[in-house]
Amino acid sequence: MPRVPAIATGILAMLVAFYWIAGMVGGGHKLAALEPLANDGGSYAITLAFAPERFHQQLLQDRGRVVGVDHSTVFMMDVDPKSLRAIAREYWVVEVRRWSPR
Amino acid sequence: MTPAVALAVPRARWRMSRRTARALKGAFGVALLLVAWQVSVPMVGMSAYFYPAPIDVAHAFVDLIRKGVLPVYIADSLGRYAIGIGIGTALGIVFGIAIGLSRRTALALSPLLKFLFALVEVAWIPIFVVWFGYGVKTIVLALIYVVFFPVLYNTLLSVRTAPAVLVNAVRSLGGGRIDVLRYVILPSALPGMITGLRLAAGFAFRGLVFGEIIAAKTGVGYLIFEGAQSQQTARTIAGMIVMGFLWLGIDQCYLRPFERATVQRWGLTIDAADRL
Repeated sequence: MPRVPAIATGILAMLVAFYWIAGMVGGGHKLAALEPLANDGGSYAITLAFAPERFHQQLLQDRGRVVGVDHSTVFMMDVDPKSLRAIAREYWVVEVRRWSPR
Repeated sequence: MTPAVALAVPRARWRMSRRTARALKGAFGVALLLVAWQVSVPMVGMSAYFYPAPIDVAHAFVDLIRKGVLPVYIADSLGRYAIGIGIGTALGIVFGIAIGLSRRTALALSPLLKFLFALVEVAWIPIFVVWFGYGVKTIVLALIYVVFFPVLYNTLLSVRTAPAVLVNAVRSLGGGRIDVLRYVILPSALPGMITGLRLAAGFAFRGLVFGEIIAAKTGVGYLIFEGAQSQQTARTIAGMIVMGFLWLGIDQCYLRPFERATVQRWGLTIDAADRL
């Protein structure tokens, strides 16, 4: 394999690995206070670093039921643990906390 | 120091400095364009929606990264591109060799292949949307279509023009069809395959933008389209710049090195772009 493609692939792989590991570590910190997570899907308030755009709403809708948005906080229901971990991994998610729908 | 050595030393230095000078000239050209663009904004006097300044585009770029949009869109676009190129190339090579090995099949299918090669992927995307809906499938299929025909056509031509003298030599030494394929056809078809892939990679990148504009909800092509639709022109331009850099990266880091290591090394083509 020529040298340049090998170096480029290596750099790309390192970037992806860094993104993945940083997400996992950051996600773990954000969920530390919520462990153990409810197996049957819970309700959570997801606070972003900004007001959510269509991109964020679509991404969150794929991982649970979005029931409301208040400024930069998205309220979700029926979020299973796997989806919640995926949400918490995103670096633009500032805080995840439990929320009780009235 | 002999005159020959005296000439050789400054020449080596000159080569190093020429490369640096070329990079500097390129950077100077870009900087000049950015300055001219920034200076022209107050002169034009239009709103940022019509004519955003480079600083607006830079802000849009930072904002897209901060909000996590750009990394996801770049990953989606590159993933689709890689899958489309991979499957399209594999199919193009397999079918190109299979068709090229039979003279009758090659003659029978040539007009149809030329016809399908001429149909651009944009024409197929609406039909793919009807058949497969909006999303990854449609875009990947469009990319496979775009890649398949140039690779197939170049492979087919290379297989058909493999040196008969070498084929006869292998046969006269007792080689069978597999030996002819392994020792003559494949090595002689390789430059054609790489040329086809090089051509297809460019077509596929344009196809990716079209596909994402029409049939996707993510990707850099979609970002360009969505930015214009939501009156965020700076985002559209940021998306265009990202697209340009992605293509430069693919071309400089993958396509050119592979071409240099294969086709140019064997002296089969001269890439005029390398001389620029």
